[in-house]
Amino acid sequence: MDIKKVLNEAIKQIERCSSQQELQNVKVAYLGKKGKITELLKSLKDLSLEEKKSTGAKLNSLRTDIDDLFKNKFNSLKVKEINSKLKNEFLDISFPPPNSIPSKVHPISKTFDEVISIFGSMGYSVAEGPDIETDYFNFSALNIPENHPAREMQDTFYIDDTDKDNKPYVLRTHTSPVQIRTLLNEQPPVKIIAPGRTYRCDSDSTHSPMFHQVEGLFINENANMGDLKGTLIEFCKQFFNVQNLKVRFRPSYFPFTEPSAEMDIAYEIVNNKIHLGTGDLWLEILGCGMVNPIVLENCNVDTKIYQGFAFGMGLDRITMLKYGLTDIRSFFSGNLNWIANNGFSIGDY
Amino acid sequence: MKFSYSWLCDHLETDKNAIEIGDALTNLGLELESLTDYSSYSKFVVATIKDFHKHPNADRLNICTVDDGTKTYQVICGANNVKKGLKGIFAKDGMYIPGTQIYLKKGKIRGEISEGMLLSERELNLSDDHDGIIELSDNFENGTSAIDALKLNDPVFEIGITPNRGDCLGIRGVARDLSAKGIGKLKPLKYEKITKLDFESPISWNIENDNNSCEYVVSRYFKDVKNTVSPEWLQKKLISLGLRPINALVDITNFITHDLGRPLHVFDADKVGKKLHMRLAKPNEKILALDNKEYTLDSNSTVIADNNNALAIAGIIGGESSGCTEDTKNVFLEVAIFEKDRVAKTGRTLGINSDARYRFERGLDKKMVIEGLNYASYLINKICGGSVSKNIDSGKLDTNERKIKYKFDYFEKVIGIKLEPKKQLNILKDLNFQINQSTEKECDLLIPSWRNDIENNIDVVEEVIRIYGYENIIESIPSPSDDEIVKINNSLINKKFKAIKKLKKILISKGLSEIITFSFHSTKAHEILSGDKSLKISNAISDDQSFMRNSMIFNHLETAEMNYKKGYKNIQIFEIGPIYNTSQSQENILSMLISSQENTNSIFKLEDFNFYSISNLVSNLISSLNFDAKQFNISRSTSNTFHPGQSAELNMGKKLIARYGKVHPLIIEEFPKLKNSYAIELFFENLPIDSISRTNFSNILDSQFQFSEKDFSFVFEKEQNLFEVQRYVNGIDKNLIKNVEFFDLYESKDLGENSKSVTFRVTIQSKDKTLDEKDLEQIHNNILEKVSNKFKANIRT
Repeated sequence: MDIKKVLNEAIKQIERCSSQQELQNVKVAYLGKKGKITELLKSLKDLSLEEKKSTGAKLNSLRTDIDDLFKNKFNSLKVKEINSKLKNEFLDISFPPPNSIPSKVHPISKTFDEVISIFGSMGYSVAEGPDIETDYFNFSALNIPENHPAREMQDTFYIDDTDKDNKPYVLRTHTSPVQIRTLLNEQPPVKIIAPGRTYRCDSDSTHSPMFHQVEGLFINENANMGDLKGTLIEFCKQFFNVQNLKVRFRPSYFPFTEPSAEMDIAYEIVNNKIHLGTGDLWLEILGCGMVNPIVLENCNVDTKIYQGFAFGMGLDRITMLKYGLTDIRSFFSGNLNWIANNGFSIGDY
Repeated sequence: MKFSYSWLCDHLETDKNAIEIGDALTNLGLELESLTDYSSYSKFVVATIKDFHKHPNADRLNICTVDDGTKTYQVICGANNVKKGLKGIFAKDGMYIPGTQIYLKKGKIRGEISEGMLLSERELNLSDDHDGIIELSDNFENGTSAIDALKLNDPVFEIGITPNRGDCLGIRGVARDLSAKGIGKLKPLKYEKITKLDFESPISWNIENDNNSCEYVVSRYFKDVKNTVSPEWLQKKLISLGLRPINALVDITNFITHDLGRPLHVFDADKVGKKLHMRLAKPNEKILALDNKEYTLDSNSTVIADNNNALAIAGIIGGESSGCTEDTKNVFLEVAIFEKDRVAKTGRTLGINSDARYRFERGLDKKMVIEGLNYASYLINKICGGSVSKNIDSGKLDTNERKIKYKFDYFEKVIGIKLEPKKQLNILKDLNFQINQSTEKECDLLIPSWRNDIENNIDVVEEVIRIYGYENIIESIPSPSDDEIVKINNSLINKKFKAIKKLKKILISKGLSEIITFSFHSTKAHEILSGDKSLKISNAISDDQSFMRNSMIFNHLETAEMNYKKGYKNIQIFEIGPIYNTSQSQENILSMLISSQENTNSIFKLEDFNFYSISNLVSNLISSLNFDAKQFNISRSTSNTFHPGQSAELNMGKKLIARYGKVHPLIIEEFPKLKNSYAIELFFENLPIDSISRTNFSNILDSQFQFSEKDFSFVFEKEQNLFEVQRYVNGIDKNLIKNVEFFDLYESKDLGENSKSVTFRVTIQSKDKTLDEKDLEQIHNNILEKVSNKFKANIRT
């Protein structure tokens, strides 16, 4: 028996195969139950022990070699067959996909999120109040009595419905009533921010009848004006992402704070664009102050023990400044082009 | 408020320039809004037209020879007042013209060279006058700067006065505040008191006891005056504020209103009766005011009247019939104190914004009553001559000074910096507080008569830091306490915002864009959607914003339509925001609108939205909030916003969780381009916030043993709620039934009109073993039997 001859014959037959089925037939002829190699292995039993050993080893090695040959051939035939099939499955990969507008969140959402997160890192939790407010919460409790000229600082929308004091409901002109609602609900220490919708009857490129504000309130035994200043500067540094931020606090007046201040940020125009933080021009950013003891007393807070500060800023305004947007009306236009151009996609939100 | 540098210097001795004063004003809380400074006008000079002739190619143009003192220029000029010898203001080639905002460029006009320009007032931003070029009356030398020739060396400040600072509504008050800040020294008022008051006033006062708002009134009668045009100094002052000079008597009252912040009024004494009354107006009493408008009053307003008629609305405006004209011979001057709230209310009700009202409603300096009377008397007498009566008054002027006990350490507690008592006292002295008694700890202060806004210790602290300077407050950042961090982590509202953020991320990843629309409804939306229920805004700006919205869907349809007009065919938008049911109930919801046009792309077969895909989207959103939509009760929506047959609502107990479906065709009538529109309203606030904000939350069974699937078909009654069937099947064996998936629905005549055939697939899997045929058969039979019994359903084979 010539093992080499058997091997060569097998190689020839395997190579001749052009399909997996053909190859399978050849495989059966060699390695099947009645295949050549199987028969040869069966014939071993007639041999002497010594021959059995040497021929057996040779035959086993032959069997392994042939088995490998089949495996390889099977593989190459499979690749060949699939490849030839794929030729019929070619698509027009250049067919242009339909155009779609990128879907984004509104820039105000991003600002809400950043404001909550920056103040959150300073220990402020979020509070809320309704848009439709009573005259008392929006004005009187905040030390803005009826006929006070400060009421004319804010053009108020009135609702055709009256509250239990028989006063028409108002659309809150600021987020400050949340100060009152919070203090009536929980005793100090209180450290909250309250972002939300606010309303004034005014409409032009910098005023919208609806806009957004965030209120801040920190009441404990010793929160002072230095803390107020530090807190707001830190917020602006983080929000506007400017480390060397030139700011100015100047005296102002709000009936619900005393002393009151407004905070300005320096800016300059570089290449027709606003550059924040440096320069000799000033942009008003927010109003703030130490909470007027009258307001605390209106909320039954003991002013012998507690004091603190409050601030309020326009969220649309700081958004416009941060991203260089110029017309507040576009915020609420629902224009999808505007949202696509100025909004934020999922990874950036 | 507006005032010029020179007027300020009438009251303030200072060496500071306009810019320094502007900064100081802002630092005092008197915010500088604008500073008009003409120093750049020195480049424009006086020049004379030496000669001129008609332009050969243009009828209306002249060719002038202009001499600016150094050289002559050819200038083409279109003004109609060109004449030989005219002295005007000349701008040369290359100069910037502020009124037209252009740079002059030498060039030819209709073929003739022009080397400069003679300017009009409008071109210099001095007025709107563009009738001709400026003609200087005085004989200035050519080459004199425009600043000198036009007397523009007086910068004008405009400052914002906050409502608490009524004391700064007179220029003297501003000067007083500046002097406290160290910006100069307050000068004494310079006028002579009239001592010769030699007759009794023929007109007398009566403050009626009817609760009108007059506390005190004092007057003088001026006999045989000659009302004239005001002297130039007075006219100029008024013009610098943008006021129009009228006649001396009126101008004097306007001057004192702005100079001292003390409004007063002059009556033509021959046009009023001999007895004047302060009284409440009669209901529907009418008065023709100086603004030439007739006002109808009510009994909440105080008027000044004689026995017959109302002559003036107290503290607001005088009457036309009793006003002073150039013919006035005898004058009755009135200075009074009215309650500020009454003035504010009347002014607001009548819609009159006068200089007087502005000052009265912010509170006046009571000590200025007599000062104003004296100053006005001096000016009237000096300018108009005649003789002056003794004072005639009524009421009692309460000039008791208000006292306050001030504790020095309160300053440090509030401001956070130390300031020695001595320094605090110095500042208070500069602000004209009188210090009666002072120890190391506290002092007794007399509040200046003009500072009605100062009542408490905190007000005094504000005064001290205002003068000391906000820039000296040392900033510190309070670090968050552990308690605060715990509070944030437990805050339901913080959690809600987290859940909202999650929703937004999911929605934009599904291709929806976020929009924010107004909280309003148009009148049209109100009529179509809400009937009588919606909340009306009493003073809406426009018809588009006249109600509070109780749904966002109409706003979103309007938005979709607007974007459709911009070319967007498939619109997918959402908004998370408030809707309003009553004045006291506001809900924050997620509202989505998906509006698609027929998909014509044969290659990219994009999903066509229908009720079922919307239902799937709702289910996905709800599972992202850690709930299973199928656990809620489903029913047809009764909202008139939706198609009655293609909309649903999900409720958890009595709480509405979601409402969704096709927008009602009657609403779509208004938006014909948006036929295929679906809306979803998710009332996420009705879900427990703790659950919706939880992360890593799910309880899907995981088993390593083999699962088996089996399909079941039943014929149910047509109205059978399949959510119930699904829940029921799931509950038949909670340990083994892993999933129940409905995948076919079929209705036909063969089944009968009131029937439907439904097929679902049940996945069965144990977490303990591989189930054998017997186990499976048992559970299959169980399902068949129980479902058919429970729902009176026929098994289909």
